[in-house]
Amino acid sequence: MRARAAWRSGRVRIGGILVAIVLVAGILAPWLAPHDPEAQDLLALLLPPAWAPGGQAAFPLGTDTLGRCVLSRLIWGARVALYVAILASLGAMILGGVLGHVAGYFGGWVDRLISRAVDVWMSFPPVVLSLVLMVGLGVGINNVVLAIILVDWTRFCRVLRADVLTVMNRDYVTAARLAGFGHVQTIWREVLPATLPLLATLVSLEMGMAVVVEAILSVVGMSVEANVPAWGVMIADSRQAMYQAPWNLILPMVAILVAVLGFNLLGDGLRLALDARQSGARAEAP
Amino acid sequence: MIATLLRIVLRRLLAAVPILVLVSMMLFGILRLLPVDPAAMSVPPNATREEIETVRRDMGLDRPIPEQYVRWALTLLRGDFGTSIHYRKPVGPLLAETLPATIELALAALVVAGFLGIGGGLGLFHVRGTWKAAVGDLGSTALMSIPSFLWAIILILIFAVAFRAMPVAGRLDMAFARPPGTGFLLLDAILAGRLDLLASAAKHLVLPAFALGLSFSPPIMRVLRSGLHDVYAEDYIRQARLRGLDEGRILIGHAARNAMLPTATLLGVQFGFLFGGTLLVEVLFSFPGMGGLMVEAVRNTDLPVIQAIGLTYCLVVLAVNAVTDIVCLLLDPRLRAN
Amino acid sequence: MTILRAERVVVAADLEGARVPVVRDLSFRLDEGKVLGLVGESGAGKSMIGRAIANLLPPRFATVEGTLRFLGADLVAMDADKRRALLGRDIAFIPQEPRAALNPVYTIGHQFDEHLARLGVASGRERRGLARDHLAAVHLRDPEHLLEAYPHQLSGGMCQRVLIAMAFASDPKLVVADEPTTALDVTIQARIVDLLSEMRRTHGTSVLLITHDLRLAARVCDDILVLYAGRPAEYGPARAVFERPAHPYTRCLQLASPPLDGPRRKLQSLPEHMPTLRALAALQGCRFAPRCPTRIETCSREPALLDRGHDHVVACHRAEADLALSPEIEHPGPARRISAPVVKVESVGKVYPGPRRWLGRAPDVVALADVSFEIGRDEFVGLVGESGSGKSTLAKILLGLEAPTTGKASVAGIDVTDPSATAREARITAIQMVFQDPQSALNPRRRVADIVTQAMIAGRRRASWEERLAKTKTILAEVGMPADLALRYPAELSGGQRQRVNIARALCSAPSVLVADEIVSGLDVSVQAQLLNLLGRLRAELGFAMLFISHDLSVVRHLCDRVLVLEKGRVVESGPTEGVFASPASPYARALLRAVPPDDLATPWRPFAEAEDAAA
Repeated sequence: MRARAAWRSGRVRIGGILVAIVLVAGILAPWLAPHDPEAQDLLALLLPPAWAPGGQAAFPLGTDTLGRCVLSRLIWGARVALYVAILASLGAMILGGVLGHVAGYFGGWVDRLISRAVDVWMSFPPVVLSLVLMVGLGVGINNVVLAIILVDWTRFCRVLRADVLTVMNRDYVTAARLAGFGHVQTIWREVLPATLPLLATLVSLEMGMAVVVEAILSVVGMSVEANVPAWGVMIADSRQAMYQAPWNLILPMVAILVAVLGFNLLGDGLRLALDARQSGARAEAP
Repeated sequence: MIATLLRIVLRRLLAAVPILVLVSMMLFGILRLLPVDPAAMSVPPNATREEIETVRRDMGLDRPIPEQYVRWALTLLRGDFGTSIHYRKPVGPLLAETLPATIELALAALVVAGFLGIGGGLGLFHVRGTWKAAVGDLGSTALMSIPSFLWAIILILIFAVAFRAMPVAGRLDMAFARPPGTGFLLLDAILAGRLDLLASAAKHLVLPAFALGLSFSPPIMRVLRSGLHDVYAEDYIRQARLRGLDEGRILIGHAARNAMLPTATLLGVQFGFLFGGTLLVEVLFSFPGMGGLMVEAVRNTDLPVIQAIGLTYCLVVLAVNAVTDIVCLLLDPRLRAN
Repeated sequence: MTILRAERVVVAADLEGARVPVVRDLSFRLDEGKVLGLVGESGAGKSMIGRAIANLLPPRFATVEGTLRFLGADLVAMDADKRRALLGRDIAFIPQEPRAALNPVYTIGHQFDEHLARLGVASGRERRGLARDHLAAVHLRDPEHLLEAYPHQLSGGMCQRVLIAMAFASDPKLVVADEPTTALDVTIQARIVDLLSEMRRTHGTSVLLITHDLRLAARVCDDILVLYAGRPAEYGPARAVFERPAHPYTRCLQLASPPLDGPRRKLQSLPEHMPTLRALAALQGCRFAPRCPTRIETCSREPALLDRGHDHVVACHRAEADLALSPEIEHPGPARRISAPVVKVESVGKVYPGPRRWLGRAPDVVALADVSFEIGRDEFVGLVGESGSGKSTLAKILLGLEAPTTGKASVAGIDVTDPSATAREARITAIQMVFQDPQSALNPRRRVADIVTQAMIAGRRRASWEERLAKTKTILAEVGMPADLALRYPAELSGGQRQRVNIARALCSAPSVLVADEIVSGLDVSVQAQLLNLLGRLRAELGFAMLFISHDLSVVRHLCDRVLVLEKGRVVESGPTEGVFASPASPYARALLRAVPPDDLATPWRPFAEAEDAAA
């Protein structure tokens, strides 16, 4: 019932379509990409896209400074972006979500401890912390996922804890405890269903953020290994030739925008749809 | 009242100290996970093993980690930020050169974000309920999807590549020399009475500040809009209307201050992110701030610099948090009940 | 001189294109210096009238017909600026929630200053002096300091006094008071009502008092207009309407309120509830007919307002006939023998440590001190006290949600602080709680059957959905609800129905003791009567003890055998209900009882017979 209402929202639809585009590109990369993303063609350096003067049909979106096909790199880059986005946001959700629920549900010293840890963690600007973590962990795509999880869990934790506290105020949670439900049962039955909508929204927004963080790390050169195509790397590479070949800068940027916009619209739309249903349902009764 | 405020300020500052200690420990610990050996990195490539060992002992890397941490912390308290492995210069002066630039940029960006955010929020609230508000909402979601470094690239593409209108590198035109002083160019230029310097510094500041400000204004818009929305549903607004006050007076005299509470909190939180965002924006605009230094240090695994800059970023965030808390206390008397 | 005159006013709402009248056919006259009471339950439309006067109706609501004349000028047709000029000056408003009606970030002095500046007092020094005088006039101590205080530092009663001071500062012709005492404690209510009367006398103001309390209106008002589903049911001199009500609804309203003095009687309960806005659109004929015990054929036609003489009009076809609605006197049952106690509380105390400060600690909060009592197997014991008296803390201790700092408590032989698994299991069938707020007590995502029988699958227990559904239907029948509600969601139920589900859930594990924490506060009188009758019946059929927590003394008197009076965490009085209410021993209990206006209008109401100061 709720899913249908969410689907009716325009944002969810548009966001969903954008995300689907990225998904398809990432999953079907080996079949969609016209060339090997790392294959260099030294005779075709810095070609503009096919529709511009000087472009070639073989390279629909042109080539970069090393003669690599931009379209292929974009499609394969989607894979990296998706891998990072999905794994990192799920990881951050689990870590932050569990700690947030534990802190909000039990209160007392548990809450104080977790909140203090979150405070300390959040004293680092996220970009700086992820950079430092990458220095410590070393380059590589799984380390990027780990770094993002270790940075962003705090946001999940803080926001969910606030939500859990609101739910804990409700008498039906106390009623469940009085009926004999254990702690885990109570959280599962009474608290989680209430916080699930927020969780879903946060995960979607987090996926957008993960794509951005990965891109930032790529631009600085602290993300994936050297021969893996990523959108941020494409941006970093094309900066020197910015004046001659602006397309090489614009296209990966558009890719990042599409992905992030898709996730944000999806998350925003989910939030509004689920929010409206709650307040709408309550407005029904006299 | 002043006494209570001072007491609260003191308490906030003292509470920040243990956080700072924990933060420094975290920073230290993460960097010690390094798979790379800093000693080996600071000697020429054909050094013998004994030479590496000597360097390692000099740098204190053979001691247990907690002891290394304590030594580092103590030297820090003495004001010695260590020596850069890469530049072979003390870190302190490096920081002193670059920190003002970053702060100046961050403040300019905050001003931009504040204006855009508050203006946008008021505007969205004003047209609420109409189709314009729905469009504005969608627009702010779309804007929120553009991170600061992408804004930087967009602005560079438009103003430098397409139109060649604005400078996109450095803080000053090449012709000028940096005036002596605080390091805050705008301030120094005014103090020196040089309007041409001021104009140049300002022009160089505009695009990076907007790149950051544009990306951080949408959340401010939203929070202000929803803050106003919530406030207008409150009883005291209705009672003010029943007392015959006009809408203008209600907005300025009653609603504004209450709506500023969540907005001020958000501004504080956002500044932390904004300050981190300066890192990449500086790199993209070749702005000589801490960001550029940090990226260099990261590429060269220059541990002392990374540690010092990392700590500085945190210090700034903690300071901003403390200031935000104080501002909130000033705005909301209910918080002073503690 | 007529200050306010309404003639056939209609306020309508735009519901999905259709125009649904929220207030219809409203006509009344308020003369100088008089008090008119607008009495109605929630949803009757009474708050709309106050808003219509100020023309601050919610979006999609509008006054579409009739005239509302203030000193001859039509408020509805008036220019917006002219009307706004009247507000705060000639027409003042006193709100329902006093603490929420003051801006929390500005001092009292600042807000008063703003108000006086608008009234035209030019000099700042003069404004400050006037503010001080007005605050003193409402018997607030130390007005000088109060000007520097913030609203959250004041109690509800003090905030209301400030608002009354601001209202009367301009010497208004009309004051509209919308449920001004509902949010306050009983003893404070009486003082505020008294203050209002005093200010009215001093300034010669007319007052429009909007309230749900018929008894209060009868005492304080000169005329009463009873509203049902947006239409006047009855309108006349207060005394006449209260002592000789002509409309069955008024009569039922009276009979549904348990009396505080006089013989105990059965409560007249009306089925269902007042029609909602949506339902109103579909109804024809007399809106009260579906619930009326005396309806006849002609009631399918809407009755006009009939004049019964002496300015007393009523909208009922049966107004001439004498209604055979007489109170059934309840004969007290055989004296209940106090059997072995099922609840034992011995010297229980609860102290909340103060938060840590820089230098030492803030003072501890003593919620309960030396509380001892027992409850017998089938006894209903009332716990009476105002806010902050510790009632809820005591309930939490009995349920095992909090541990007492000192003393012992046991339920059905089990110590409430015993953490062992067996004790916890045993407590589930020993004691259960019915919560106050039906909105927050029922998980909106679960069906009724799931909620009611959740005890059957808690912990290690298992039960199939068919078993649970069957059990739900049984319990629903017991609490007087149709079986098909078992599959509904809480959002589809009315407030009264939700409260029954609440009770059903508590009864599912067949507890020996029920704790009911203010379960009928906030419900309409007619719905309250339904629930009280239900509780009485359940007691007879199922047999359980109850700790009934309430601030409403008449309800406690009706339902409970014994009563405990709690003041600031201590039991100041305890004993059989009749005895305590007839001759209370402690000054606090006396003050509580005096604060409720007696039913018999001939008995004078003097809430402050003993000397008290006004630190409300």
